[in-house]
Amino acid sequence: MTSSSRRPLVRRLALAAVAGLLLSVWAFPVLWALLTSFKSERDVLAYPPVIFFEPTLAHYREVLFGASSILPNLWSSVVVATSATVLTMLVALPAAYAIARLRYPGKRASGFYVLATQMLPPVGLVIPYYLALQKVGALDTYFGMVLIYLTFSLPFAIWLMVSYFEDIPFEMEEAALLDRAGRLRALWHVILPQVRGGIAVTTVFVFLNAWNEFLFAVVLGGNKVRPVTVAMFNFISVEQTQWAKLAAGAMVAMAPVILIGLLAQRHIVKGLTMGAVKGGGRR
Amino acid sequence: MNKSHRGGVSLQGAVKRHGALTVLHGVDLDIQPGEFFVLLGPSGSGKTTTLRVLAGLESISAGRVLLDGEDVTDKDPGERDVAMVFQSYALYPHMTVAQNIGFPLKMVGQAADTIARAVADAAAKVSIGHLLDRRPGQLSGGQQQRVALARAIVREPRLFLLDEPLSNLDARLRLETRVELKKLQRSLGVTAVYVTHDQEEAMTLADRIAVFMDGRIVQVGTPQGIFGRPSHASVAGFIGTPPMNLLQATWSGSGIRVGAHGQVDVGSTAPMEREVALGVRPGDLKIVQSGLAAEVELVEELGDSRIAVLHVGDQRVKLKTDSPIELREGQAVHLGFAAKAAHLFDRSSGERLN
Repeated sequence: MTSSSRRPLVRRLALAAVAGLLLSVWAFPVLWALLTSFKSERDVLAYPPVIFFEPTLAHYREVLFGASSILPNLWSSVVVATSATVLTMLVALPAAYAIARLRYPGKRASGFYVLATQMLPPVGLVIPYYLALQKVGALDTYFGMVLIYLTFSLPFAIWLMVSYFEDIPFEMEEAALLDRAGRLRALWHVILPQVRGGIAVTTVFVFLNAWNEFLFAVVLGGNKVRPVTVAMFNFISVEQTQWAKLAAGAMVAMAPVILIGLLAQRHIVKGLTMGAVKGGGRR
Repeated sequence: MNKSHRGGVSLQGAVKRHGALTVLHGVDLDIQPGEFFVLLGPSGSGKTTTLRVLAGLESISAGRVLLDGEDVTDKDPGERDVAMVFQSYALYPHMTVAQNIGFPLKMVGQAADTIARAVADAAAKVSIGHLLDRRPGQLSGGQQQRVALARAIVREPRLFLLDEPLSNLDARLRLETRVELKKLQRSLGVTAVYVTHDQEEAMTLADRIAVFMDGRIVQVGTPQGIFGRPSHASVAGFIGTPPMNLLQATWSGSGIRVGAHGQVDVGSTAPMEREVALGVRPGDLKIVQSGLAAEVELVEELGDSRIAVLHVGDQRVKLKTDSPIELREGQAVHLGFAAKAAHLFDRSSGERLN
């Protein structure tokens, strides 16, 4: 870099320092958990905390293949989160498109309704949901769990997607209609490709919300359907908290989240900044 | 020249209402095949709505739309065999230029090699053959405009609808494109309906113009006809650069009086004394020895011509002349004009009287 003068270098360093600071705040608990997961139970509780210790994979072996394996729970999480995500997106995309585009009576009200469902505290809903699922015999089933997840993921996804659809000018569809595409093919060929970033962002958020969900899972699940978040909770008991196993479990549960984040990073950044750089696309 | 016999348009009593608001009050329109027809009017006059009605993008509350004699009032845009160039161009940003142009052919299931040939052909007609692999975001405004044109001509529609297609170009490019657009339309022999609020654009492009005011067509005619003999005071005040002067005056006998500022002969005789709007084109006004008393407010120099802004009492008029004139601000002069240059309109209805 021969052309870069001193000032940009200083600025770059300052930027890196600030970013590093913010990152360390965010990353500290994760790194601490990562360290903990390799510590022996004795080192975990050592005071002052030890930084240098003899690492062990015993806890990973235990949480993956031991008596308290979380593999079945990971599978539960995969099934619940994937089903909830797929169903959500299948319903949310057409719904959001309709809300963004069509004129129909009660449009404002329906938009508000979608948002209002996000305002209810989940803890107030968990008992009614429990009773409702119990009545229809859907407690501790994938069906019941996914159904309940839809109640919060669907409004969220619709609300997010509406803003992406609204950024596409009306002329896009009109041009496609005149180009003899018809409404469905206009949506498929012209509109959906332009909200790819938004779809990626929404899908990832919906999946992560479902994957990280704990409250509904612990109440509405059971022995058959027990997502990994609930399973990890079992490492905390009245007698003792098995910190190292908990940390190892957390690392394993976090892996798919990080993987998805990395894979979708490009789309997410694009999707999140799209509205910012384009602007004024609405009519 | 493959003059087409397709593309005749007939709009019969088209009414468009948005709730309590009426946007079109019964518009009648007949456009001949191969004609370059311009819908001209200020914003909110209903010209774009009329274009969108022809496209099928807006439904009408009453009336009928006929294309080549066929009633298409209830047909979808895709079933009308019309193409449109939008003001924003509405290019598909995720497709290449070639994919954009080929899209209307792909949608009716044409073979890939047929599409490729048609795309190359259409692109050549608007000189963008070298841009086919780019995306719209990588093109200049003028190039995007050509892509939009190519996408419209590639399918050889019977009707070409253009919604202010030049308004996003800079002034110089606009002039160049205007000429090319007219040549393109002539060589294709396709009917074009063109919306603009720019009367100069309308005059230079149109075979015929329909002038819109407040959701009604107030005059249809050739550019010369509309310029030379506006049928309504609102048309007179809209057409021309600068537009026609309109003065409040009293018409009696064969003379016309502008307040206490003088009397001028207008040729035709009033049946009885009446209040009128006297219209005179700025280019028809002359400085004379005796006529309407006026005072010079300022003079705008345009190089090959100049425009003088004057006051007749409290009414402002403009005079345009090619000859060098010595006018000072504040100078008192007299204005005159040939009797045949006078346009008389009813003061209240705006209807033409002579």
